[in-house]
Amino acid sequence: NVGNLLNNVAGSQTLTKEEIEPVMADLRKTLLEKNVAVEVADAVTKSVADSLVGQKVERFGRASTMIKQALAAAVERVLTPKRSTDVLREVLDAKRKGKTYSIVFVGINGVGKSTSLSKVAYYLKEHNIDVMITACDTFRSGAVEQLRSHAKCLDVELFEKGYLKDPADVARASLVHAKQAKKDCVLIDTAGRMQNNDKLMRELAKLVSVNTPDLVLFVGEALVGNDGIDQLNMFNKSLAQFCSDGRTIDGLVLTKFDTIDDKVGATLSMTYKTGQPIMFIGVGQKYTHLKKLSVNAVVNALFK
Amino acid sequence: MVLQELGGKLTAALQKMQSVTVISEEVLDKMLKDIAAALLEADVNVRVVGQLRKAIKTRAALEEEVAGANRRKLIQRAVVDELVNIVDPGVTPHEVKKGKPNVIMFVGLQGAGKTTTIAKFANYYQRKGFKCCMVCADTFRAGAYDQLKQNATKLRCPFYGSYTEADPVAIAAEGVAQFRKEKYEVIIVDTSGRHRQEAALFEEMQEIRVAIEPDNVVFVLDATQGQAVHEQATSFHEAIDIGSVVVTKLDGHAKGGGALSAVAATGAPILFLGSGEHFDDFEPFVARSFVSRLLGMGDMSTLVKQ
Ligand SMILES: Nc1nc2c(ncn2[C@@H]2O[C@H](COP(=O)(O)OP(=O)(O)OP(=O)(O)O)[C@@H](O)[C@H]2O)c(=O)[nH]1
Ligand SMILES: Nc1nc2c(ncn2[C@@H]2O[C@H](COP(=O)(O)OP(=O)(O)OP(=O)(O)O)[C@@H](O)[C@H]2O)c(=O)[nH]1
Ligand SMILES: [Mg+2]
Ligand SMILES: [Mg+2]
Repeated sequence: NVGNLLNNVAGSQTLTKEEIEPVMADLRKTLLEKNVAVEVADAVTKSVADSLVGQKVERFGRASTMIKQALAAAVERVLTPKRSTDVLREVLDAKRKGKTYSIVFVGINGVGKSTSLSKVAYYLKEHNIDVMITACDTFRSGAVEQLRSHAKCLDVELFEKGYLKDPADVARASLVHAKQAKKDCVLIDTAGRMQNNDKLMRELAKLVSVNTPDLVLFVGEALVGNDGIDQLNMFNKSLAQFCSDGRTIDGLVLTKFDTIDDKVGATLSMTYKTGQPIMFIGVGQKYTHLKKLSVNAVVNALFK
Repeated sequence: MVLQELGGKLTAALQKMQSVTVISEEVLDKMLKDIAAALLEADVNVRVVGQLRKAIKTRAALEEEVAGANRRKLIQRAVVDELVNIVDPGVTPHEVKKGKPNVIMFVGLQGAGKTTTIAKFANYYQRKGFKCCMVCADTFRAGAYDQLKQNATKLRCPFYGSYTEADPVAIAAEGVAQFRKEKYEVIIVDTSGRHRQEAALFEEMQEIRVAIEPDNVVFVLDATQGQAVHEQATSFHEAIDIGSVVVTKLDGHAKGGGALSAVAATGAPILFLGSGEHFDDFEPFVARSFVSRLLGMGDMSTLVKQ
């Protein structure tokens, strides 16, 4: 329990590096248990330690408040988005200008891309956006039927060309169609791929570079371990390398928060290095299970 | 697979010990610290790492009077043994037998790779000459039946399912009963993804099990996942007697430590590893050789063999 960590330190005058060292070791372990990746746990611990050393402790018990505040500040620094996460407003802005807004969902296998896409479709539709879904996972068995079933439930149009087609071509055709049909927003689903699969990463970069979508959302799981950072880095790197305009991911969707209890560390791991904002989180398997990340909730879960 | 990277770190930690003449408490602690760091980076559960550290230390203390090179060997062996213990609970997994129905039920978290693994499993046993078939008891996920159907069709494997029946227990029971009657040998049952936080989903899983009386329940685990899978695996194990484990997505960069510690939680042996999206990306798991690969091997092989 992070809250109790500093109790034995309290009483001294000024906190020294040596004094807080064992406490910082405990903090690091707590962060690791909460599923923060090792390098991020190290960095956060260091930043908390730096902010504590030299601070005065007057009363017994105040020390634990200090560490809480220092950790909360560090977490807030990491999680506070550096760009707008208001997707709806961006779509509405485009609509006002008579433009079709497009979002591509990318990520490794099975993380919840297609489900999150359907949740976003539901969310936008609730706000009177005319949505279309494009099936660019032309590889995985049942991927097209999965989206067809969602499109039917949501009563939105599905654009698909079946399997084994070049996904970049399908996306392009769908954008042309959407423009003619005056759709407000196109949600493009892609096949899951491992970050180190060069062939598939090139295929994805081609889809992005040919179609220049307004938003590229990387979908990851809150369940992900140390691999999450590597996934995000490699997706960014591949996009930057193979897209002529060097663009990268615009934001993240983190799914399956309903399966992790208080092990919320992936939120820190995934945002620490790139600073890419978490646009949505997934908290279940229903259309309504799409939320905005609450920084407070993350801080509270870390203190649990 | 980047298991080698973890292996490299572990080997380096062990080699550091090699280069000093006396293995003091300090040297031992440093080595244990290095090993713990490598395992944590590979997502091995924090508590499992703690236990491993303690176990090695206890063994090293027991052999304290042993001197020099022998002590080094003993400590190295302790490291290897404890790692093997994580991945090999020492239980013989269920073996599929010819000439009788073997009902295998697959369970796991959402998106772990169950439906894909089922196709690989069918492909594997079809090639060995077994009469295989699949039952789709996932009535929840959009497109689940189509996914299984398309895979089965590619494999020319008979399948059972329904677009209209919403009760997975009924489908599982009917499908398995029919295939038992038709004398199929490997009857594979796919189920929806589920998690421990939703009790109704676990009850459904238990009902399916009661209805089909599987010979083996296979828990499918995703290698990319971190600290939370330990609790999930424990809860699955408590809710349904897990017979074996398949670890998927090892073709990525993930080291699979989260999954490996989940194995420690279930006490069930790993049967196969999944390393891609194609039906052939599937290999039987051998604990000892897995650890030797984990360690990058070399001079460790003699230790692992024993
Ligand atoms: N519990 C829970 N399950 C989720 C969540 N989001 C998605 N899922 C489930 O995760 C599984 C995989 O979801 P998909 O949307 O098919 O994942 P994907 O990334 O499109 O998968 P591929 O296209 O095969 O790479 C499904 O069973 C979803 O219902 C979530 O927030 N919570
Ligand atoms: N790269 C890679 N992908 C895999 C592997 N195993 C499964 N997948 C992919 O992971 C994704 C999810 O696999 P599914 O078989 O649909 O997972 P599931 O457990 O049946 O999912 P739900 O039924 O929604 O719970 C798909 O895109 C699969 O192709 C693997 O070993 N390597
Ligand atoms: Mg998908
Ligand atoms: Mg499935």
